[in-house]
Amino acid sequence: MQRRKASHRRRAQQLAGLIVGTMRRGLPAPTFALKSNEASAEAEIRASRALFAEDFIAITEFSAMSGDRQTMATKVMQGVRVLEVAQFTFTPAAGAILADWGADVIKIEHPVRGDTQRGFLNMGGVQLDPLRHTLFEHPNRGKRSVGIDLSTAEGQELLYEMAKHCDVFLTNYLPQVRQKNRFDVEHIRAANPNIIYARGSAWGDKGPEREKGGFDGTAFWSRSGIADCMTPPELPGPLSQGMPAFGDSIGGMFIAGGISAALFHREKTGEAAELDVSLMSTAAWASGANIAQAVETGVITKNAMPSSGGGAKNPFMGNFWTSDNRTINLCMVSPTGLIRDTFEHVGRPEAADDPRFQDVLSLIEHSKAASDILVAAFAEKPFAYWREHLKTLKGQWAPILNLLELASDEQALANDMLIEVEGADGGEPLKLVRGPVQFNGEALETTRSPQASEHTEIVLMEMGVDWDRIEDLKSKGAIA
Amino acid sequence: MKPGTRLKSAACDTEVMVIRAADGTIECGGAPMDEAKPADAAPLAADFSAGTLMGKRYVDADGRYELLCVKPGKGSLSVDGVALVVKDAKPLPASD
Repeated sequence: MQRRKASHRRRAQQLAGLIVGTMRRGLPAPTFALKSNEASAEAEIRASRALFAEDFIAITEFSAMSGDRQTMATKVMQGVRVLEVAQFTFTPAAGAILADWGADVIKIEHPVRGDTQRGFLNMGGVQLDPLRHTLFEHPNRGKRSVGIDLSTAEGQELLYEMAKHCDVFLTNYLPQVRQKNRFDVEHIRAANPNIIYARGSAWGDKGPEREKGGFDGTAFWSRSGIADCMTPPELPGPLSQGMPAFGDSIGGMFIAGGISAALFHREKTGEAAELDVSLMSTAAWASGANIAQAVETGVITKNAMPSSGGGAKNPFMGNFWTSDNRTINLCMVSPTGLIRDTFEHVGRPEAADDPRFQDVLSLIEHSKAASDILVAAFAEKPFAYWREHLKTLKGQWAPILNLLELASDEQALANDMLIEVEGADGGEPLKLVRGPVQFNGEALETTRSPQASEHTEIVLMEMGVDWDRIEDLKSKGAIA
Repeated sequence: MKPGTRLKSAACDTEVMVIRAADGTIECGGAPMDEAKPADAAPLAADFSAGTLMGKRYVDADGRYELLCVKPGKGSLSVDGVALVVKDAKPLPASD
């Protein structure tokens, strides 16, 4: 026993530097609820637990002194541990949001293949560097990765042990795979009855197609009516989504919201809920205003072909083309009090005195005439002029920007919309978009996504798995 | 070499955690690694200067060695002069 204690202490010390390194990277301070299967050696385990705890407390204090960011920023999910068995973007994005908010998110990946998202290297014709894999970073920043083969009995047993230490189980594996590999709700709840079980799916967990897979291109964009509404009827066919992980990223936030509510509910009542968000339900909610209108009126409203000019009823609603073929969008849904200001800003003050435009009702009546004035005015000057000149416009407007312009947009940057994480290649930091919620006006700091199975040993040891067993599991291929 | 041991490069900033090891000499940048850093840095051998990457695992062909990089550096890892290779995930191919 003495020898074993010493070996535990040595290992704890050896891991110390690694853990401090991990915590400097800003990951949540681990809580060490050590457990072991070996009931026969309970006293010994208690002793070693105490040793681990001593060392780790010392490490934690050291880390706090080093000025960790988690002591500075609001971490609403601090202390929450999420076990993620998920791939691609939609459901992992929920884990990323929770990690942004301070949760300890442990991502389980296949020991050989990893998340299939890692193989997604050709995006829109652009070849991505696997060490600077933005599509992987976006939904996986701030997490730790543990490699477990869940098709093995040993791997499943390990997952159940981990589940005992977690508050949330997050998955997007199909029902038949969850059954086959025994991590469906009944299996996970058998290990931890109080765990929140969150499922992301393409088509929902009920109905005839619950076992069918899908992506946002199918379940969010195509079947939902979105592709149909976005496409002007004059075009020969529907537009494609055109934005990778668009529905996924929206839906991931929905799952994170649901999990937050479920955590609150558990806190209040002690009940752990199951929750489902599908890409189809994500699309239906995002289109909900138009779906309700279509069902009520029987009319489907669709995008019009691009043109310069205002709406049939409201000239201050629409895109206006500048002299250098860029676009300014006006969106004054309620023009009261804005008519004179708008005409003056576009250099047509005389129009403000035109009796046809003296009030909103008359403006609506003469929408075409007002729109023509705006179209001619915007076409006289370049985009840069309008961006500067319209800064004092009272009404609502925006320049139409591209993604790179957004990434350097003053207002976006002032609101900390972009974050930086280190490049896994040791090169320049990568810029990612933060989650949409800001707490206490604080900027977000997080860490790069993990390498596949980067944290297997450290996480398993935190959870009380001893080294002999780690070696055994490794030799069987159950972990990596 | 015991699992869990943390080794430092004599030739660069690299540090690794030993996950699995046999009796051979673990090297970085062509020089043996040790738990302590030597007072005088060893020269970085040109053949072992491809660099290490944080969080990557390095293994030999026979599965006798596995090192987890916990601090990157300019040297690359070897055992008895034989270069270790990155144990990378082999994801299924995917494309949009």
